[in-house]
Amino acid sequence: MQIADIDLKRYSNHFSSYTELRLHENTSQQIALLNGDVIANTRDTSGGVSSRVFDKGAWGFSSNANMTDEAIESTISAATKNADFLARRCGDDNASLPAARGEASSDFRTKLPRKSQEEIMAFLKSCDEYIVSACPDIVSRQVVLNSLDMEKKLYTSEGSIGHNVNTRTLISIKLATRNNANEPVELMESFGHRGQFEDVFPDMEEVKQKVDELYQHLMNKKDAVKPVSGYHDVILASDLAGILAHEAIGHTTEGDIVRAGSVAGDYLGQKVASELVTLVDFANTYEGETLPVPVYLDDEGVVSKDAVIIEKGVLKSFMHNKDSAAYFDMDLTGNARAFSYTDEPLVRMRNTAILPGKDKIEDMIASIDDGYLLMRWTNGQADSTSEFMFGVQMGYEIKDGKLGRAITDTTISGVAFDMLKEITMLSDEMTWNCAGMCGKKQPMPVGMGGPAIKTKMFVGGE
Amino acid sequence: MSETVLAKQTLEEICRAGFEKAVCQVSNDELHELQSENGEINLFRTNFETDIRLSGIRDQRRASLGVNKTDKATIGNAIDELKAMAEGANADPAFDIAAAQPADIFSAGPDEPDYDLMYDRLKEVQNYVADAYPILNLRSVGITYFKRRSCLVNSNDVQFESVRAQYRVSVSFSSKDGLATSSMMYIGYSRYHLDDPLKNTVNLDALFQQSTEQIKTEHLPGKFVGDLVIAPTCLSSFLGFLTARIGDAPMISGTSVYKDKLNEQVASDVLTLHSAPVSDEICSGYWVTGDGYKAENSTIIDKGKLNSYLLGLYGANKTGLSRAVNGGGCYIVEPGEHRFEQIINQVEQGILINRFSGGRPNDRGDFSGIAKNSYYIKDGKIQFPIRETTVSGNMIELLQSIQSVSSERLDSGSSVFPWVRVCGITAS
Repeated sequence: MQIADIDLKRYSNHFSSYTELRLHENTSQQIALLNGDVIANTRDTSGGVSSRVFDKGAWGFSSNANMTDEAIESTISAATKNADFLARRCGDDNASLPAARGEASSDFRTKLPRKSQEEIMAFLKSCDEYIVSACPDIVSRQVVLNSLDMEKKLYTSEGSIGHNVNTRTLISIKLATRNNANEPVELMESFGHRGQFEDVFPDMEEVKQKVDELYQHLMNKKDAVKPVSGYHDVILASDLAGILAHEAIGHTTEGDIVRAGSVAGDYLGQKVASELVTLVDFANTYEGETLPVPVYLDDEGVVSKDAVIIEKGVLKSFMHNKDSAAYFDMDLTGNARAFSYTDEPLVRMRNTAILPGKDKIEDMIASIDDGYLLMRWTNGQADSTSEFMFGVQMGYEIKDGKLGRAITDTTISGVAFDMLKEITMLSDEMTWNCAGMCGKKQPMPVGMGGPAIKTKMFVGGE
Repeated sequence: MSETVLAKQTLEEICRAGFEKAVCQVSNDELHELQSENGEINLFRTNFETDIRLSGIRDQRRASLGVNKTDKATIGNAIDELKAMAEGANADPAFDIAAAQPADIFSAGPDEPDYDLMYDRLKEVQNYVADAYPILNLRSVGITYFKRRSCLVNSNDVQFESVRAQYRVSVSFSSKDGLATSSMMYIGYSRYHLDDPLKNTVNLDALFQQSTEQIKTEHLPGKFVGDLVIAPTCLSSFLGFLTARIGDAPMISGTSVYKDKLNEQVASDVLTLHSAPVSDEICSGYWVTGDGYKAENSTIIDKGKLNSYLLGLYGANKTGLSRAVNGGGCYIVEPGEHRFEQIINQVEQGILINRFSGGRPNDRGDFSGIAKNSYYIKDGKIQFPIRETTVSGNMIELLQSIQSVSSERLDSGSSVFPWVRVCGITAS
């Protein structure tokens, strides 16, 4: 039976206290070409039912791969027993959660006829052939398609009801060459959008543009120099601004992380950034545009709303699930999300962005005598101290207001609430990245956005 | 229906669909988890999962697919889809499945979870921390009983059945005193039993103590080139550069710096590294490789020499090199001759690193990253916890620069690692 055909309300007579009942199915596909050979050709579908029950401050959770009547009823029963197991041992009679009732449905599956596996494979082979023709000086190439469709249907004992299908499709290109010392030099980029393959890649244009840009940067990187280790004036390209918003600031302001001791908990209402900085975790829409990871109703049945974290430099609020909102006595924001039917909802970011400013990128570069332009991140981590780190695989020196030589891979780091105060320019462009996969306990697709940023940061190097 | 019956039935159907070579693996997982957050036990979870993996090769075209329902319609649709996926793929003679081997049955671990003991161990560590380290916050503690029943069959008459159960423990924590906050630290381990209190396992009590010290950190006195004493908690971050580059993709593409380095010295002769999925020391191991071969232990680096690549069947066929006898992971580093204290005493100037937050090294091995939960060492003594400290170097040179390996090792259930001292690292 399909998720759409199952009426969850009919199981509400099995609820004995606050209960969430969720049907959830993830379908993913990966096709990987290495130097033209298909080395991965896989598809996975994993779904089932989960139930979470709140009893005297304790949560019971259970899940089952089957979605039959019997499986759904036994899952609710198991979750209820699990909550009771804890409630009897360590329950708190006074514990309560903020109530919420909402309804939402959304479906981002394509309305176009689905392409066959053969057609998708032919598209990827065309991508590979384009790389061969357009990038003569490479020694290795990879083209990888990844897609994820996530369908969720939710019913809560408070009457919230939702049915949402989020989709995204990404292509990663990795090119490698050799420098004059015959050492490998590589660059990788992932790009794509919300939506299924048919909507995201209607033709080769975006792929060709990305390959051309990547190849040009790779050729520049062949002669790259190591950056000089230390604090520098830097411009973070807009793709780096997104991960800065997510890793360096976003995580420290998630309600559960604040409760666990993040330094952000001490700064609420205080100036933590240049007044140029406004940072928002958007639920689903920005300036009328549907964002990479639109969330309308979260997995606790809360209507999602934008969470304004920093407004003109002042720390305004945090992101919450029911637990953290209850603990801090703050409004719900609808940030509770689960990755799989086997997972409980956690406080997760949705589309986190620093809002753009009014500067032109060329003016920003011209304003730096000795520094770096940094672009294309590889990974990132943050800490409860707000100390952060990103890997950067591409960048250029800035000397006397002009771009200079390419630099080798590096790591940039700092203390977020110090670095934010050093921001002096924000570009007027806004770039959204759809390729983020956050790794806080469970994986989770996230959107990230921002303009180019001028600040000071520690750059690893010689 | 048992995993074996379902796997065999499905395999027959894949073959009937026209695949010349086929593999089917059926797994049923049970997960029972108690979790605490911020010192409060707040979640009890029971999950029951099924996973069916189908793989087939037809006209040298390969496809793989996973579903988690066992009804006839789902499996029938999956096989139809597998056919379509293979038809759309390109032919490659390197695709193959494991050769015939004698059938075998494996099992390890407790049959059932002990909920009361799981609860008691969780409560015990909370009470201990509350008494011994009042400023330490146990952000999250999870004790999980995980059991997997699995059967893998292929069309070359391979049949392996297994049951493995274990307890998995994860602990993350930080300290806070007023406005002073330490970096977060986390550690995980697995065991077949919960006989020991958590605090007595994987050096956890010492890490708790260190966390409370780390609320007051200092900057390094200045940039220097010196030693790095790498703790077992982050050694995999440094060994990972080599192990990631001796697998299929980098070896096939030819971009691995370890290509053509078999039997050559790639590390200091004090380093011997095993991949030991069937070792008694490893409780999170595996008996069967992803390709369907019975796994064996192997030595990856023998006294600094590269003894084996980590090629799967496809990578071996593609490169003409030997297939590894396992799928990697489950790493054990042979102990050295020096006590941890002696290793610290050997350091003129350096850093004891407990957690590494680093960017991905490039293919040449250059790396830089932040030393977290770490200490400055001067004149053979640990001086103070450090903040905002970047360490950088080259992974290839780092492995060759290993000076000493500790006799004490930390057993996480999925690895057994000592403390390792390397030199020539830039700290700033």
